[in-house]
Amino acid sequence: MRAIVLGALLVAALDLSGCLSTTIGGLTSPLAPTPGTGDAPAPYSADKLVGAWGVASYREEKDRVRTEAQARAQCRLPYVIKRGPTDGVIMHVADDTTPHELALKKGTDGKVYLGFAGPPGDSQDRVILSITDKEFVTRYVDPDTNTRYGTFVYVRCGKA
Amino acid sequence: MNVKATLAVLGALLLSSGVVSRAEETEPKVITMDVSDEPGRISNDDVRIEDGPYKRQVVFYRTNAAPGTLVISTPERFLYLVLGDNRALRYGIGVGRQGFQWSGMVTITRRTAWPDWTPPPEMIARQPYLPRFMAGGPGNPMGARALYLGATVYRIHGTNQPETIGQAISSGCFRLANGDIADLYERVLLGTKVIVRQAKEL
Repeated sequence: MRAIVLGALLVAALDLSGCLSTTIGGLTSPLAPTPGTGDAPAPYSADKLVGAWGVASYREEKDRVRTEAQARAQCRLPYVIKRGPTDGVIMHVADDTTPHELALKKGTDGKVYLGFAGPPGDSQDRVILSITDKEFVTRYVDPDTNTRYGTFVYVRCGKA
Repeated sequence: MNVKATLAVLGALLLSSGVVSRAEETEPKVITMDVSDEPGRISNDDVRIEDGPYKRQVVFYRTNAAPGTLVISTPERFLYLVLGDNRALRYGIGVGRQGFQWSGMVTITRRTAWPDWTPPPEMIARQPYLPRFMAGGPGNPMGARALYLGATVYRIHGTNQPETIGQAISSGCFRLANGDIADLYERVLLGTKVIVRQAKEL
């Protein structure tokens, strides 16, 4: 048998971070407009995000369908989102290994953001692009982070 | 199966295959960098090694290999594309770290632009915020192109860490700066013979 197999072992550490700032309390942002102050409730509960998810990312729309299939396949190593103590969900933000409680926030632009408590559209926030019971799609607000990681597809595990 | 167990089993496969063998434990001292992959870091396909020995260049190279053959010299950190008339186009590469080096003869069985990347579970454990699958792109550690080596999981591929060229850092794959792998990719066809050498040549 001439086949040779060896799994690639990769270890990693990132020290990357976004550098955009946002508008708070009417101050002008030098880099990005803010979608609002975040007083409006999100149109759905954070419970919609709770569960085990297969996660994959893509950058170009042509890769979306196969990325969804890959996300589904990643349920063997799911990303588990739990409910937080104050109506949020426990998740990670980019480049941070510590899980945090994140909240859903509705911006004045009508979009729903997921991030730390505070104005929606912060550079560490994600924007929810679409959501159903079985799948949600997000990308990071920070353009640099979005460029690096692309658009994330979460496919719920365990349900057909 | 954990990594050590996997390596033990696969090591036996390598040694019994007759095609690929592990590096001798007594090989010359290898400079090994403990540099991590950086998924998400951007490196486009115009990034190439611009100077020094790892810059792409035509060199004098005496070999019996036919023109078009790729010869990888792990100790030298060079990949040669044999041109004939004692010449070769030489690229600087990153190679497997100690214990992850191998030698043998294979062929190119697949060519892919901007290959996808699946972080191993160990990486997910350390960086749980990573996607479990990342479609190909400039932030992908697999880089701009990939040339698959035989039936193995080894590849000649790009990298989003061009500063690691010349180092022993990988898990057995050979990495080139994205601009250089893109150049090589255009010169290499399916079925191309690839000779991976461990020992220094006389």
